[in-house]
Amino acid sequence: MLSIDERWDLIDKISKKTVKFGKYKHTLKDAVGELTVKPLTGIPVAVAVLYGFWSVFSSFAGFCTDGFLVKIFDGYWLPWLQNIFPGGLHNWLYNLMVDAGHIENGVLVPSDNCFEAFGVLTSGLFVPFGVVLPAVFIFYLMMTLLEDIGYLPRLAVLIDTVLHKIGLHGYAIVPTILGFGCNVPAVTATRILETKKQRFMMMTLLGIFIPCGAQLGIMEEVIPDTMGFVILYLLFGYFVFGFILNKIIPGKSPEILIDIPPYQRPTIHNVRKKVWIRVSGFLKVAVPFVILGCLIVGVMYITGFMDWLANALSPLLTNWFGVPKETVGPLVAAFMRKDLAVAQLSAIEMTKYQMITSVVLVSIYFPCLATFIMILKEGGKELLGSLAALVASVFIFGGLIHLIWILLGVA
Amino acid sequence: MNKYTIGKIYFGVLGIVTLAFGVAELVVTAGGDSFSWSILEIPNGIFRGGWGGVIILSAGSFYLSGIKNLSEIHQFSKIVMGSILIWIVAGCDIFAMITESIPGEEGWFNSLEGFLETYAPPYPPAIILLPFSLIVIYYIYKRKVA
Amino acid sequence: MKILLMGHPNVGKSVFFNRLTGSNVIESNYPGTTVDYTKGYMVLENRDIEVIDVPGTFSLEPKDKAEEVAVKMLEEEKDAIVVCVIDASKIERGLYLTLEIIEKGYPVIIALNMWDVAKDKNIEIDVKNLEKILEVPVIPTVAISGEGIKEVVSRIKEAKPVKIKNIIKNVGG
Repeated sequence: MLSIDERWDLIDKISKKTVKFGKYKHTLKDAVGELTVKPLTGIPVAVAVLYGFWSVFSSFAGFCTDGFLVKIFDGYWLPWLQNIFPGGLHNWLYNLMVDAGHIENGVLVPSDNCFEAFGVLTSGLFVPFGVVLPAVFIFYLMMTLLEDIGYLPRLAVLIDTVLHKIGLHGYAIVPTILGFGCNVPAVTATRILETKKQRFMMMTLLGIFIPCGAQLGIMEEVIPDTMGFVILYLLFGYFVFGFILNKIIPGKSPEILIDIPPYQRPTIHNVRKKVWIRVSGFLKVAVPFVILGCLIVGVMYITGFMDWLANALSPLLTNWFGVPKETVGPLVAAFMRKDLAVAQLSAIEMTKYQMITSVVLVSIYFPCLATFIMILKEGGKELLGSLAALVASVFIFGGLIHLIWILLGVA
Repeated sequence: MNKYTIGKIYFGVLGIVTLAFGVAELVVTAGGDSFSWSILEIPNGIFRGGWGGVIILSAGSFYLSGIKNLSEIHQFSKIVMGSILIWIVAGCDIFAMITESIPGEEGWFNSLEGFLETYAPPYPPAIILLPFSLIVIYYIYKRKVA
Repeated sequence: MKILLMGHPNVGKSVFFNRLTGSNVIESNYPGTTVDYTKGYMVLENRDIEVIDVPGTFSLEPKDKAEEVAVKMLEEEKDAIVVCVIDASKIERGLYLTLEIIEKGYPVIIALNMWDVAKDKNIEIDVKNLEKILEVPVIPTVAISGEGIKEVVSRIKEAKPVKIKNIIKNVGG
């Protein structure tokens, strides 16, 4: 075996004999590329790219969901099922599968849309296919394009300085961006981080603060005006908790050099394949859990357990977080899927500010089940205790938001 | 470098107009009402007006900072970047129009008039700037040949 | 017989792998997409050969979890042929890993990938001479477009273990 120096020495000799470095001419591509990395010019570019990302995301998702899918689900699918499914509003199987109904002026009335019906065959299909699928599809398509063009690593370089403050180097942007699509592959991607400490921090931050594509899609659909606040709160939490975790967890956060690949023209073949793999991967994770969530929440309502839980947790929810006690249902659903939980929240009567708090709450208080399983698989058992500690700190964060509303005089 | 003099003047003027549009968008957004004059409509709202306005403003700054020494590649790349920013915003505006124009209010699809009406003026600033920003392609081509 | 694809992160191993096996590994234009290994099969002279896409690693002294996986893979597959995928525009760094693998006694074949990028940067590499010095096949490739992949496949059987002493001798003082 050679020593490191001997090896480099040998390479030096080899390359002297075989490689000729010509004069490197700056091309326009290089010059434009440089602009995207230097902070002064790179930040406006990043702002524009994110604008484009979000604009196309919401246009496309709105086009599919509001333009067509809502019409199909609310206009045809729901009335048809309400018609042909045996039983009725007072039959438990009907409640579970089709429509749980809701109380209006003391009378149990049927729902007129798939957000409120909350049956396995109505909301359980509408949420993943009607709302989330178009959102996730366009998200992955855009992300794949940015990735294959080569913009993502540049964004990483740009954000590096900010992330450094919370003990994560620029590489952390890769799992974070993946997390905006789905947290499950994002947790796997934390392997590129070097130390245990960094991986642990990233997984925790991902699982708690990064809203996934499914959640973004459903928020765009049900609370388009206030979702900006929700995202701001979550990103704020991401940085604050990152900063705190970095301080309290022992271990190192070493520097790493990022290799910037050249800008390239993406190939249709690769983009198509990658989007397909990611979207189908998402469906495999999402659909079973949405349906399971519908079932569990439905059963809890029918057996009266949910009402009991709502009353039991009522002091905490109304006094500490300042949200209606009915949010307990969505909180339970959030164990399974965040998108389902947000859809369910949209059916509850509350103020704009309570809505923001409760959406933030369902996002942060626990990673969704699929992510949780992934974290366990990747991170081992030590995460369990720490997660419990984090759930506790989430209470502080939720209370803090309530406090902000009180101080602003809106709660 | 006389052959770039016209380019300098052109992108200088375009830069000032772009910058002005950006400022206007931010002012209108801060004011809260949308503004319409002739074929121009400045959107309000945090997203299109505010965020979009910042980008148009940056595009104008890119143009203006690039006109000095235009023939030098690093300077010229700023002009290219200014145009790219306008293309991003205009592209998003156009995509939003397309997605709004196809589905109907009640029925499945929009009526023909409704469909065409979406594309009628007034237009947001980025779309008005779009044709003027395309001139940069001529200059890229010219560089390649040279 | 098994084939391991090894190289730095983001040099196109996954693109290579997909070209060889026709399977669906996610390829990205950023480092660290493959954090776990992937297996696939290719047919060479009517035999099914297992191809393993190893996560990118800078050297055989692992620094993160993905690199650990890479090194462990190499140690487990004692009789594998290693296809070293090197970024031709950063050839020296790639050679470092290659030499490490050669020193461990594995038969090696080198793919100088991203040949187009190297050309853009005006880097000239004397492939014939490099082959003579290293005594293993060296093939310029552009995996994205498929250039050179066929040649790599056809020359896999030429891969053989080389003594590091020979290389030192070949390069001369």
